[in-house]
Amino acid sequence: MNGSIQPTLLVSAALFALGAIGFLTRRNLISVILSAEMMLHGVALAMVTFGKMHGNNEGQIFTIFILTVAACEAGLALALILSLYHRTKSLDMDLWSALREDDMPSPVGHDSSAGATQPDTHPVQPTLTPAGLPIDPKTPLTPQRPNREETATHV
Amino acid sequence: MSDQAQLILWLIPGAPLLAAGIIALLGKLFLGERSHVPCVAALAIAFGCSLVLLTKIVPTTFVSGLTSEAKVEADKQISFQPTDEQVITPQRGAIAKGYTFLDIGTMQVRVDLRADAIAAIMLAMVTGVSLLVAIFASGYMHGDPGYPRFFAAVSLFVFSMCMLVLSGNYIQLFAFWEAVGLCSYLLIGFWFKKPAAAAAAKKAFVVNRIGDFGLITGVFLIWKTFGSVDFQRVLFNPELIQKINEQHPGTIPTICLLLFIGAMGKSAQFPLHVWLPDAMEGPTPVSALIHAATMVTAGVYLVARSTPLFMMAPNVQLFVAGIGATTALISALIALTQYDLKRVMAYSTVSQLGFMFMALGAAAAGPKFANFAIMAAMFHLFTHAYFKALLFLASGSVMHSMGDVIDMRRFSGLRHVLPITHWTFLCGALALAGFPLLAGFWSKDDILAALAEGMHSSHGQFFTVIFAVAVLTALLTAFYTFRAYFMTFWGPEKFPEEAGHHPHDAPPAMAWPLRILAIFAIGVGFVGPLHLFSGYFEHTPGLPAAQEHGFHLGLMILSAFIALGGMAVAYKWYIKSPEIPAKLESGLRPLYALSQGKFFFDEIFTAIVVAPIRLIATICALFDKYILDGVVDSFGALPGFLSQAPRRLHGGLTPAYAATMLIAAIGCVVCVMQLFAGQ
Amino acid sequence: MNWIQHNWALLLPLVLGACGVWLMMPGARSIRPLGGLACLGALVLGFQLVAGSRDVSGSMFLVFASATLISAVLMITSRNPVYAALWFAVVTLGVCGLFLLQSAPFLAAATIIVYAGAIIVTFLFVIMLAQQAGTSSYDTSSRQPFCASVTAFTLLGLLLITFQSAAAQQTVDGARATEVAAANKALDVQMKVETLDIHKSSRPLPSEELGQMRGLGRSLFTDYLFAVEIGGTLLLIASIGAIALAPRRAQGTL
Repeated sequence: MNGSIQPTLLVSAALFALGAIGFLTRRNLISVILSAEMMLHGVALAMVTFGKMHGNNEGQIFTIFILTVAACEAGLALALILSLYHRTKSLDMDLWSALREDDMPSPVGHDSSAGATQPDTHPVQPTLTPAGLPIDPKTPLTPQRPNREETATHV
Repeated sequence: MSDQAQLILWLIPGAPLLAAGIIALLGKLFLGERSHVPCVAALAIAFGCSLVLLTKIVPTTFVSGLTSEAKVEADKQISFQPTDEQVITPQRGAIAKGYTFLDIGTMQVRVDLRADAIAAIMLAMVTGVSLLVAIFASGYMHGDPGYPRFFAAVSLFVFSMCMLVLSGNYIQLFAFWEAVGLCSYLLIGFWFKKPAAAAAAKKAFVVNRIGDFGLITGVFLIWKTFGSVDFQRVLFNPELIQKINEQHPGTIPTICLLLFIGAMGKSAQFPLHVWLPDAMEGPTPVSALIHAATMVTAGVYLVARSTPLFMMAPNVQLFVAGIGATTALISALIALTQYDLKRVMAYSTVSQLGFMFMALGAAAAGPKFANFAIMAAMFHLFTHAYFKALLFLASGSVMHSMGDVIDMRRFSGLRHVLPITHWTFLCGALALAGFPLLAGFWSKDDILAALAEGMHSSHGQFFTVIFAVAVLTALLTAFYTFRAYFMTFWGPEKFPEEAGHHPHDAPPAMAWPLRILAIFAIGVGFVGPLHLFSGYFEHTPGLPAAQEHGFHLGLMILSAFIALGGMAVAYKWYIKSPEIPAKLESGLRPLYALSQGKFFFDEIFTAIVVAPIRLIATICALFDKYILDGVVDSFGALPGFLSQAPRRLHGGLTPAYAATMLIAAIGCVVCVMQLFAGQ
Repeated sequence: MNWIQHNWALLLPLVLGACGVWLMMPGARSIRPLGGLACLGALVLGFQLVAGSRDVSGSMFLVFASATLISAVLMITSRNPVYAALWFAVVTLGVCGLFLLQSAPFLAAATIIVYAGAIIVTFLFVIMLAQQAGTSSYDTSSRQPFCASVTAFTLLGLLLITFQSAAAQQTVDGARATEVAAANKALDVQMKVETLDIHKSSRPLPSEELGQMRGLGRSLFTDYLFAVEIGGTLLLIASIGAIALAPRRAQGTL
């Protein structure tokens, strides 16, 4: 035990580790994102401490940028979560493993998907509304080519 | 060399090249049915320039009034000059300076235009015939969807042919030798949607490759032996040739043999003659221009041009004569029984080329006779170009009016329906048969004379056989020419249904070239007996000194009788008593079948050349498919195999990836620790 | 074994903490009170580890640090995401307190505003929108809690060892540097000036200016101007992206 650890660094490292545990173990999408935010806190705290140790503002400026990126990340993550929730009516992360090889078994047990609907086979991709066009409540979310025959039968 | 002369020399190949460019770029979009205009205009310019070259430039650069000894002195003076452009003496011909095309080590290849007597004669013939053929084609090809393409290719061909003739070194000659081969390929396969035409084009190209291989090998050997490929240094340097021949006795005959193999390919000599009859799948003007008058004579030109080398290899010259005689006889025999009018003409062309090579080979009789023999070959080349082009164009005219039917059994008695075609065809046929006082008579007589002179040399027995073959072939020529004539134009009037009800004679664009060529076929031969041709030709550098030679009256009477005899037999068999051929056919069935089947050369080549190559190709294909592809595929399968284990890590669950990242982060931290521990 | 005996003070809280977190994780093997006790023990032992430092002397540090860590553990182990979000708010507050102690008052204020004021509120909105009634199966079970705890605490331990050796190194280096500086004072003046000219913002500031808005702002809008612009653009793009991603509803409905 030659030197002593900066105590704030100890706190920041512990925050990072705890956030990692949360990120790895929790299955609720929101908890996962919160854990990621907590890891960012750990890093920010370390940055500020390093800045103090060097006696300049650089660490704090870094932290400001971390804050910016964290805000962006939180916004996008929440939008994604809502859009995923829209698809499955569940916040369970284990439902989303489409990246795996087709012939591989599901990485989670079968019990996890109980009570939740599987993702759609033909998901509706999110699109931006074209500028200047009023949203017609009748039209579906994805822009589709107007089908004349269909319209005719409706009339 | 004045600037004007330079300009004229460059215009001869330049104008057709420009026309080819214009037609190729603008033809489809703007010119359309007027595509022949640039081509005809350029060829007219080239023809005019060739005439100026023939009459003005080349003669003025000759030394007049020099005795032959003085000429040799002049040769010596030239030969010891370095091959620099400035010091090439103007006496030997005209040279237009070009640019250095290749500069590799000691080899410097320039693109220059070098005109002397032989080249001037060739140019006048080439541009003249091609001008007439182009005019003819503007009528013949009318309405074809590939009209601009045709004239672009023809212009390109004339450019390449002029450059070939004007070459000042063997590399340039080889390059344009290939270029005319390419144009020939393009034009044989002009109707490339027709499988027969595509196959014929491929065949011509492949067979020519064999000859071209010989030629390029010969050129390499020349470069290795002489250290240069320039005509000036290689050909017109008798002492150097003499010295090399003494030091390396076998080299020059080898070079000559290789060059002759090249000539065999291009000039369709046995056994590489098989491509020429098939090349008739191209449009008829192409057959007339490329496969009768100009390109196929390039081999004759090459051998004549390389005379100084060939003079050192009498055995090769005997070989040349032997091949020429074989070709002439075999193709004449095949022509006897063919029913395709164009094919008869094609075999006739091969046969006449054989005559030319016989004459070239007759130079082996000795330096005394060499000049006359080569002159005879070039003279026959010159006259043959006119009357054979005429015959092909007239055949084309027949084809045109018969709705592209060319089988002689399906039409007859056309002389009243197609009067212009009939008369012009008759002129050509008479000239080809060697009717007295027409073009073919004089040139064939010269060849027979050259061969007869050979009989008095040390190779007398050999030349006796060759002479006998030549006389026999001349008889056969007269017979099959008039067989075709009588079958087509005499007998009862009969049209194929493709012709429609009223077959029409040639339109003016086709009629006038026919008339002009007919006049040439009748009259052009008189440059021979008047010593115009030989007097001009002997100015060609590198030829042995000319000897006086008189009229061979006995030979003339002989060849006149041969021609008349062949024609009479044809008349007797096909007009008077048409049952005789049928009787003969049944009586001599195997021989008849041999002739009808073209001596089965195609089948023999298929069996001994094509089949083994196909077998090898099949083996290679199997090797490629199962062994090479197997190796390559196993490389492709390797990553898939190697990834069997790691793909199990790829579960698709995001936290699993995060865990991997975390473990990697731990690894990083351990590394940093090691760094600190090391300090 | 020797190494473990030597470093027991470091290893014991790590092991204790790992066990505690594992026990507190939601799932079949969860024994929350025991886990909580273990975590508290680990916390106390961990503070013993840094007891020598002068920063720990202030009670403020102890308060903020314990609040942060305790609520962090509670956040990652809570079965209800609403509670998790609230615990996260406490973590944020604790971290801000630590920011204050590290002479970053502006940053502390900014973080509170951004996180507690905006992000957590948004989280709560989303939870309210998406949360089903009662606790769901995926909230009451966790994925591989033991492995995750071991991995993360291994990382923590390695980090701490690194910090420790770095601190030891610094002490030695500092001592040596003082000697060298004393020896070559005349030369060093020249050197120092050159070194300091390399980057203006890297120059150590007087402690009273550290973290002040004046200095931070000047630095941000001079030295880091482009980064600020890029950050602003990033925010804009992220908001557009969020609008594009969010599930759309028919007009007039919430």
